[in-house]
Amino acid sequence: MKNNIIILGGGQAGIYAAREIRQNDSKSNIKILGEENLLPYERPPLSKDFLLDKKKEEDLCFHSSDVLKNENIEFENISITKVDFENKKLFTKNDDVYIYDSLLISTGSENKKLTLDNNLKNDIYYLRNLEEAKKIKELVSNKNKITIIGGGFIGLEIASSLSQLQKKVIVIEIDNQLMGRIIPKQIADLVQNTHIEHGNEIILNKQIEKITKKNGDYEILLNDNSLIETDFIIAGIGSTPTVKLFENTNLKLDNGIVTNQFCETSIKDVYAAGDVSNFYHPLYERNMRLESYQHAQNHGICAGKNIAGVKTEYTSIPWMWSDQFNLNLQLTGICNDYDEIIERGNDINNGVIYFFLKNKIIRGACGLGIAGKIGRDIRITSKLSEKNTIVDKQILSDQNQKLNKLIQK
Amino acid sequence: MSEENWIEVGSTDSIEEEDLIRFDHQDKTFCVYKLTDGFYATDGICTHEAVHLEDGLVMDDEIECPMHQGIFNIKSGEALSPPACEDLKTYPVKVDNNKIFIKID
Ligand SMILES: Cc1cc2nc3c(=O)[nH]c(=O)nc-3n(C[C@H](O)[C@H](O)[C@H](O)COP(=O)(O)OP(=O)(O)OC[C@H]3O[C@@H](n4cnc5c(N)ncnc54)[C@H](O)[C@@H]3O)c2cc1C
Ligand code: FES
Repeated sequence: MKNNIIILGGGQAGIYAAREIRQNDSKSNIKILGEENLLPYERPPLSKDFLLDKKKEEDLCFHSSDVLKNENIEFENISITKVDFENKKLFTKNDDVYIYDSLLISTGSENKKLTLDNNLKNDIYYLRNLEEAKKIKELVSNKNKITIIGGGFIGLEIASSLSQLQKKVIVIEIDNQLMGRIIPKQIADLVQNTHIEHGNEIILNKQIEKITKKNGDYEILLNDNSLIETDFIIAGIGSTPTVKLFENTNLKLDNGIVTNQFCETSIKDVYAAGDVSNFYHPLYERNMRLESYQHAQNHGICAGKNIAGVKTEYTSIPWMWSDQFNLNLQLTGICNDYDEIIERGNDINNGVIYFFLKNKIIRGACGLGIAGKIGRDIRITSKLSEKNTIVDKQILSDQNQKLNKLIQK
Repeated sequence: MSEENWIEVGSTDSIEEEDLIRFDHQDKTFCVYKLTDGFYATDGICTHEAVHLEDGLVMDDEIECPMHQGIFNIKSGEALSPPACEDLKTYPVKVDNNKIFIKID
């Protein structure tokens, strides 16, 4: 049967879902509605190689318009401003109407904004999309002292890129460590040391009291009364799922759109995937929301299968990376449900990994190393945790022993 | 096709099955793999970013990059999973007297 399938949100989850639907369903109309004037593209380079000019705009798109045309997938550059789930309709601000039989919501997430009491809203920059990346790249070119508010992944990646562009960078973090509590303090400290070695200043445990504009530059007053002078401010203080559109509907929301392991929401024929979805993970027996490249891709594919009628459970082991300077950090599984921590290695040149175990089974791991040094072990870790393998801790902690010994064939 | 293009990499027992070794020659890096049905060779650096694939994971006929999990088919070099999207160059391999040779152009 021919269906009208609409994908609301033209990002990574959306495009992977669309192509997967087409793989399984040659007849239905598939339309992606995206408010950005660009085919779905990769965001990771925005804070890294795009700022460094190693990647250009044309390098970012997942697929060319030819691929979409060949697969008969339509992309329309439009913003949806109202939904009517009961009558299966989406509206634009001009009251153009889109009618669907099945809907995938893949609206992603958006940056939290600083609450400032004066008129500085347009003076603080955020990074989520290509337009913002272009703007930052253009504006920092004649700035020297740049302050990043928030020491999370994106803030630190920008700090690393700007430092490589010979800028003086200051990072202000409210917590007592970088990248949030989910990252082992030891790894956060190693990352912090690398930033400092490259000349970046890292200020922990401090809150912003006030920002004042002075002759085109800024003064940032911290809660210990210290003052930072800076000529450009970027904030990376976390993100929230993009769900405003659904707030007054009966779609179940709780830290994103609540979905089951089949990407189904509380409303029939409405699915959600990617950053916006708070999905049930059968292996961990709980809901979680992830903001990562691999998840957006795999979750999109899973949603695509389910929309096309191929009932498929989402069981991917969470995985993400962050690249800063020559370091590559990776996280797999979940690192906040454990009864034991095991350390492997203590030198970033060979890689350092912390494994989080519960009942002798690896639940998650976090590793840091010079580019490439921890990836294989982290990948093997994902496989071990996926299979609930009971592991030999001696092998885990000894860098001279290969971890693939632990995989039961 | 001159004989000189075949470069000796090492002995056949220098690689474990379903594993790889890195081989540097002049200013280039290669990876040489032992799969269940023989030896194969590819460029040693990922096409996505400049990372050595020697630290990657070999699974069946595939090499997975240790940096962002881009995947390549070892035999054809085809990029199979993003963020890798550019194929990896492959090289002919021959074994002679328990020694592995690769043909570099
Ligand atoms: C700067 C940056 C760096 C990152 N680096 C890494 C990294 O190194 N490693 C990693 O694993 N992950 C990284 N990520 C995370 C990863 O890119 C995201 O998790 C992924 O893009 C999520 O995909 P998505 O499809 O859910 O959402 P998105 O890719 O954000 O797509 C959502 C799309 O929906 C559109 N949309 C929203 N509302 C509407 C509407 N009402 N109408 C029409 N369109 C709408 C949005 O404009 C957007 O284009 C990074 C993210 C950012 C922003
Ligand atoms: S460097 Fe190999 S996938 Fe990115």
